[in-house]
Amino acid sequence: MERFLQFFATIRWQDLVDIIVNSYILFRVYVLFHGTNAFRVLVGITSLWILQEVAASLGLILTSWAVRGITTVAAVIIIVVFRNEIRSALQARNLKAFFWGSPVREQATPVDIVVQTVFQMAKKRIGALLVFPGKEELGEHLHGGLLWRGTVSQEMLLSIFWPNNPVHDGAIIIRGDQIVEVGVLLPLSQRQDLPSYYGTRHRAALGLAERSDALVLAVSEERGRVTAAKVNTLTPFSEPQELTHLLNRHLNISDGVPTNRRKRERLRLTVAAVLSLLVMTGIWFGFTRSQDTIIALNVPIEYVNRPGGFEILDTSTDEARLQLYGSSALIKSLQPGQVLVRVDLRKAAEGKNLFPITQDNIIMPPGVFLNKVHPPNLEVNLDALISKELPVQVDWAGKLPDHLNLVKVSVAPESVSVVGGRQVLQALSTIYTAPVRLDDLLKSGTTTTSLVLTPPSLKLMSSANEKITVTYVLEEKANQGRK
Amino acid sequence: MSGRRSQLLLYLAVTLTVIITGPEAFAQVSEQTNAQSSEAPNAAAGAKLAHATMCERVDNLMPTRAGLVFSVSAGQVCCFTSFDPVPQPSLVYHRWFHRDQLSTQTRLRIYPPKWATYSVIQLRETDKGPWRVEVTDQNGRVFQVLRFSIVD
Repeated sequence: MERFLQFFATIRWQDLVDIIVNSYILFRVYVLFHGTNAFRVLVGITSLWILQEVAASLGLILTSWAVRGITTVAAVIIIVVFRNEIRSALQARNLKAFFWGSPVREQATPVDIVVQTVFQMAKKRIGALLVFPGKEELGEHLHGGLLWRGTVSQEMLLSIFWPNNPVHDGAIIIRGDQIVEVGVLLPLSQRQDLPSYYGTRHRAALGLAERSDALVLAVSEERGRVTAAKVNTLTPFSEPQELTHLLNRHLNISDGVPTNRRKRERLRLTVAAVLSLLVMTGIWFGFTRSQDTIIALNVPIEYVNRPGGFEILDTSTDEARLQLYGSSALIKSLQPGQVLVRVDLRKAAEGKNLFPITQDNIIMPPGVFLNKVHPPNLEVNLDALISKELPVQVDWAGKLPDHLNLVKVSVAPESVSVVGGRQVLQALSTIYTAPVRLDDLLKSGTTTTSLVLTPPSLKLMSSANEKITVTYVLEEKANQGRK
Repeated sequence: MSGRRSQLLLYLAVTLTVIITGPEAFAQVSEQTNAQSSEAPNAAAGAKLAHATMCERVDNLMPTRAGLVFSVSAGQVCCFTSFDPVPQPSLVYHRWFHRDQLSTQTRLRIYPPKWATYSVIQLRETDKGPWRVEVTDQNGRVFQVLRFSIVD
């Protein structure tokens, strides 16, 4: 019991936030994608992943290898094949709906009005075609159509399908309580086994139902029948109550009676929320609480807040060897750059400074802990920046033609002012040019070259001195007397 | 007469110091030095540097093949210096630097009334690059800096 309490005492508030945020993300994924084909495939992929882990832990080499390949391919397929569903699920009307909306509350189609109207149209032998989209995107199956955006009412429906209306032959799309499009052309079913009394309107209803999760109602003007197309089935309805029931089920709507359906829906969401919390808690503990893996890393040391007027002359080491521990998942996923050793030079002075490398200097991802560090101390030698006037000397290279001798050289400028560390500059007496080739020199002349600043921390006081003009005098060796 | 002869012999005598530094190499002198040298007054107890040059050889007390670049194939390079006047016996140094690193230094003795002396280094492939020779007195005061290069 005491160990149990000790364990909970180590949990930080950040850990609780971590679990809650990720649980909610998982829950929202479930809410947004539930009922879609993409969700079912996602469940399948998750099952495959679990199978792969189990196979790997049992040492089933070929099985785990094959399942891993299938999982990878399936993950790509789900994105490509179900892109429309994914887009549809993520295209919430607003941020509130995306983060908080419930599919139950979003549906508000006036089912009674629709049912009453379609049976009235059937009685009057007015043909009609009504589409109630499910969760899948229909865009690629629909053609034509006019934006309508009218509120569903009996009069509106009757007027759209009135025989003299220019758009009465097409289908209408109903989302919520809105008729969003009219005059839409639907794909026709290619089935050969349909009864002959089903005309083009029914083939269109079935065609869309076969290709999506939409529910399509067709009203026959010849036979005065109401037929619903769902998945691969055409179902005639003679009773309004039956159609109401079907529409409510499709639109996920409570049918008014304080309904078991709404209660079931709430229960389903509650269970999903609890499961999300449990799953995420389990994953979190698996990721962060097991501390079974130790790794040693050589991490470069980063120096920050170097005091102005100083430069780093040298350090006792360029990297520290850290021994870290944590769960194997976190340790395996460590990336370069996630672990840093950072030394703050804000309080450093000129000369040698000793810094202990402690937990405070080391930046690690959450859930990874420091076991050992080597070396325990770091020596940083800071050099004050000064300037120094140094003479310029030409660095000749190559081979002068045998008959010539270089007898005089002048450089402009003769000296340059260099800025660098005091200790570095104290050891320097000359700045050399880049190598100047002698091979091509045949007569006296002038050339330009640049300076080589070594070490690279040295800087010229004036950038105007970056180019050096070299004037040289050559003489024939035969002309030279003894000098 | 014998005193005058001995004085003449002393004047003509050249202190030859050949520094064989093994892996080290040497060379030196130039006109470039005129622009870049620094001369210290009252150096070496009043001795004055009359002439300094880098050369391949010193023959009959005279520098031969003076220049600013010397091929490593020449095998050696000399730093020739002559002082006039030399008020009293004293020491001078030829300090040879390869790329700002002291390679070797030669201590040379000079005598009144004037004196010529030189130092030599043997050259190796690794000696290619820029060199300088600082001619100083025993107190470290610089008479002249001679700059040159060892090349292919």
